[in-house]
Amino acid sequence: MSALALTIPEPRKRLGLKGPRAAQWLAEKGITPPPLPNTWAHSEGAAAAEALLVARLGATEFFLEDGAAGTTLERISPFLDGHPPGVYPVIREDSAFVLGGERVHEVLAQVCNVNFAALSLDSRPVIMTLMIGVAVLVVPHGAEEYSDEAGRREQSGRYYRVWCDPTFGPYMGECLGAVVAECGGSYTGVRG
Amino acid sequence: MHRLEKTPGEWLDRSVDLRFTFEGRQYQGYSGDTISSALAAAGLTLMARSFKYHRPRSILSFANHDSNTLFQVDGVPNVRGDVTLLRNGMRVSAINTFGGLAHDKARVLDRCARILPVGFYYKAFHSKHLFPRWERMFRALTGLGEVNLGAKRESTPKRYGFCDVLVIGGGPSGLSAALAASERGAQVALVEESIRLEGNGAPSALVRAARESGAITLYPATVAAGYYADHWVALAHESCLTKMRAKAVVFATGVIEQPAVFRNNDSPGVMLASGALRLLARYGVAPGRRVVLVAANLEAYLACLEMRKRGVPVVAIVELRAAPESDAAVAACAALGIEILCAHAPYEAIRGSSGTVAALRVAPWSDGRLDGGAVRDIECDAVLMSVGWAAAGQLCLQAGGTMRYSEELQQFVPADLPSGIYAAGRVNGVYEIESRIADGRRAGAQAAAHAGFGAAPNGPAPRRSTRCPSHRFPIIDHPRAKNFVDFDEDLQVKDLENAAQEGFDSSELLKRYSTVGMGPSQGKHSHVNALRILARVRGLSVDQLGLTTSRPMYHPVPMKLLAGRSFHPERRTPLDALHGSLGAVWMPAGNWRRPEYYAAAGESRQQSIDAEVHAVRTGVGLIDVGTLGKVEIYGPAAAEFLDRVYAGRYSDLTVGMTRYGLMLDESGVIIDDGVIARLGDERFYFTTTTGGSATVFREMLRLNALWGLDCALVNVTGHRAAFNLAGPLSREILQGLTDLDLRNEAFPYLAVRSGNVAGVAARLMRVGFVGELGYEIHVAAGGGADVWRALMKAGTPRGLRPFGVEAQRVLRLEKGHFIVGQDTDGLTDPFEANANWAVAMKKPFFVGQRSLRILQARGQRQKLVGIELDAAMPLPKECHLIIDKDAIAGRVTSIAHSRVLNKSIGLAMLAPELAQAGRRIRIRAGDGALIAARVAAVPFYDPKNLRQKPEMSQ
Repeated sequence: MSALALTIPEPRKRLGLKGPRAAQWLAEKGITPPPLPNTWAHSEGAAAAEALLVARLGATEFFLEDGAAGTTLERISPFLDGHPPGVYPVIREDSAFVLGGERVHEVLAQVCNVNFAALSLDSRPVIMTLMIGVAVLVVPHGAEEYSDEAGRREQSGRYYRVWCDPTFGPYMGECLGAVVAECGGSYTGVRG
Repeated sequence: MHRLEKTPGEWLDRSVDLRFTFEGRQYQGYSGDTISSALAAAGLTLMARSFKYHRPRSILSFANHDSNTLFQVDGVPNVRGDVTLLRNGMRVSAINTFGGLAHDKARVLDRCARILPVGFYYKAFHSKHLFPRWERMFRALTGLGEVNLGAKRESTPKRYGFCDVLVIGGGPSGLSAALAASERGAQVALVEESIRLEGNGAPSALVRAARESGAITLYPATVAAGYYADHWVALAHESCLTKMRAKAVVFATGVIEQPAVFRNNDSPGVMLASGALRLLARYGVAPGRRVVLVAANLEAYLACLEMRKRGVPVVAIVELRAAPESDAAVAACAALGIEILCAHAPYEAIRGSSGTVAALRVAPWSDGRLDGGAVRDIECDAVLMSVGWAAAGQLCLQAGGTMRYSEELQQFVPADLPSGIYAAGRVNGVYEIESRIADGRRAGAQAAAHAGFGAAPNGPAPRRSTRCPSHRFPIIDHPRAKNFVDFDEDLQVKDLENAAQEGFDSSELLKRYSTVGMGPSQGKHSHVNALRILARVRGLSVDQLGLTTSRPMYHPVPMKLLAGRSFHPERRTPLDALHGSLGAVWMPAGNWRRPEYYAAAGESRQQSIDAEVHAVRTGVGLIDVGTLGKVEIYGPAAAEFLDRVYAGRYSDLTVGMTRYGLMLDESGVIIDDGVIARLGDERFYFTTTTGGSATVFREMLRLNALWGLDCALVNVTGHRAAFNLAGPLSREILQGLTDLDLRNEAFPYLAVRSGNVAGVAARLMRVGFVGELGYEIHVAAGGGADVWRALMKAGTPRGLRPFGVEAQRVLRLEKGHFIVGQDTDGLTDPFEANANWAVAMKKPFFVGQRSLRILQARGQRQKLVGIELDAAMPLPKECHLIIDKDAIAGRVTSIAHSRVLNKSIGLAMLAPELAQAGRRIRIRAGDGALIAARVAAVPFYDPKNLRQKPEMSQ
């Protein structure tokens, strides 16, 4: 299992969409949104670095993040300038973090009351909750659980992508980083 | 007490010596010792002084359940000696002493006990003037450890835990419950108060199986201190607090041994037999060299045999019952030649010169009556009490369960438990080891089934003990009292009897008046005996009185665990780092940190603020207003929604224009304000106050869900940076950075435009909160710093200064603009705040409209007015009262000295009859002085508002 670490990923383009026709509009643009609220999907057929993450936050609300080399949002955003009816763009300037490695669940247990270790990744869950008092969006990734030699259930390589309001970003980084450090991990610092 | 030779199974590593001091003297212990065991092994019998009478005390339960062995350790108060491991170099001292433990000056209070009964202070000190003096004295004389206010804070984590089945208690029933649940596939958390699972009476095979189970997580040295709703249990460990959420809970919490109540039963050397056994087995410490057992159950004889096995002499067993049960252990004790005095009771413990027990005076006893004429003294240095148990059932009660008093067992047992809660073992009245294991398996399987692992078992009901392990009334009266029921609070039998006779005769009232069970032990050793005494006084059964429920935490928990890491979410705007580099002096604003002002070299705080104000009035200033709430609303019904939420009208607002918005609650009180901009027919963008952004947005979501209008709200507060460029030069400087036409014809006052500023897409609103030509610039958070830098670069050669919250407050005060929450309060309506102009009463509906109609008819209660002080100084403070005819007539809400006006000005809430311009008023300052002022018209500055619309003056 990799070492515990909190990192700030490379900046990526993000967009939110709301409105009764948001799902239909995405489909028209060739993006298949996940059918269920609180789940996520990746754009089909794209390489990992280009894949668009689409998280369905509610019946009519979406969070989209391009892969590091993705161009989908750049392609579809201009279509919103015409204010299509029933589709409302939402500016997303979130602070983003990636938390993963050994003892990741001990860190999460100290900052959030959601039982992340019990989540099944097969259902591609999106969790909207409070973490150290801040509203966050969390998407778990990584390998599924396995049993070690003693029969204990472990999650190998599981990591979590965390987004929050950017004005809470420094606070989140400092506090999460301190807990990570106390648990023997590292925090790569604040993006310049 | 003394240390014995090493034996297998003890918890010590005798190869590692540890040195420590107690009351300044050096002692030695071993690795694995607790503070109490090391002191006992060193032969110390005097370890503490009691709370009230400063009586000598020593080990009682050796279970972390009593207050006798609380110590001050390295400056930390109330450290629990029974369970705190000894460290090399530890400095330990007794608590609550004056001049040291041995020579405690306050021990004289013990001789005054007769005149200091329970509640004496309620009756003796009636003068309200003198009572504080007595209170201070009592507080000094009584108490526990000394808090070191200068101590460094220890930050400990609070963590959340999750399991299918939580088992509390690591004895035989708890272990078997955990194993039974885990065998069904449940994830189990097992909590045990002791440092180790071994030595708690469970077969070693059970302990081994639990350790080897991959599905059982062990929490040793952890106390389940409180139960909260939905199977949420607080687990307190020395280093962290775990909030454990379980699907089902098994209480295998066991029983707590109860003391016999007789004169001087609190003397050092008198202790619970179970505590003595723990000392002996785990730490190799003998309780004495001549031991007497006070017995009322089989456990006493088993303890006796254990003592003898380790070579500890037991000279007599004082049996409260007419005869012990027929059992091999009893026969073995008799066979060893130990004198068994049946139907006898301890009359009193006779203390030696050091205050420790030197002999036990016993007498024949039957039907609760003692034959004082046939007393006999048995010389001894230790008295072990084994007379009964109390169920550790407080968590059951906290969980909403009920308990009944079993006359057969003389113990409370669970009567009715809520769904998902199970009890097993001795707390359930099941005493024999095989039965405890079976009961544990039953409870574990039921809990697992409740958590979704298999069907509920149809096992037999728990087999409760057929013998009675507890004496029904182990309380022996003595004419000279000092027979203690509650060791924490120095409560004697007569204290409780007197309380009951004075009318405090229910278990709840008795507890509150006498404070029984309110000390660190939380009644673990006193609750049941107190009920027995109350039952005798009232002629009722214990069951009829019932138990009181301790509120969580049931067990004392260090404050550091409750405080945890103390996370305080703080918001910072995207320009935070830039403010820091500009010398910002920070202030909290809601959960934001904002620059109060920017400290400039060679300037005082006031000079910096004055310079910032001056820059805005004469040149240009730039302030970060990114903390304002920022919301977008889309949809066909967006205008209607705003018409309903705000007091003004927005359905007729022209696209490209803004309008002030005043938000009221249902009672017509002002709760927020902001600026609403219409971006399109179905698109609006609006701001809220800094402090109100989260609550306002939440309320709007609620209203939108309630009304079901076809519109959607988006909170973009944190995702947009915003700043206000204000001052006569603002247009000129901004024009050089934007593609927008800023001329008045193209961008008039109160207009909103979208364009680029410094290459960044921006929304600009021409508004004038500070009373000068100004532009509020809103950009995506990521572009905020670039735009700010560009503005600073363009403006600095023209004298641009960043300005902070303090300068903004002065600037808006000069304009007479109120701040919601500062100049208004929880009762202020728009009429009182002179904001009638922002209310469209003719609209069909808005929140608060109905109340405003009533308020209009009723007339005003207060009025917000401007005030001018006769003299510039002294300056009253905000909230200082306005006095008229020796009565309060209002209060100052804002005040400042205006350099540009060269006078001190403010806003005040005033009685309407005084609110005419020119009316003289007096303000009472903090020192009581009355400061002269008069009511003045607002705005104080630029009353025709020409400076924010300079084209109007041309």
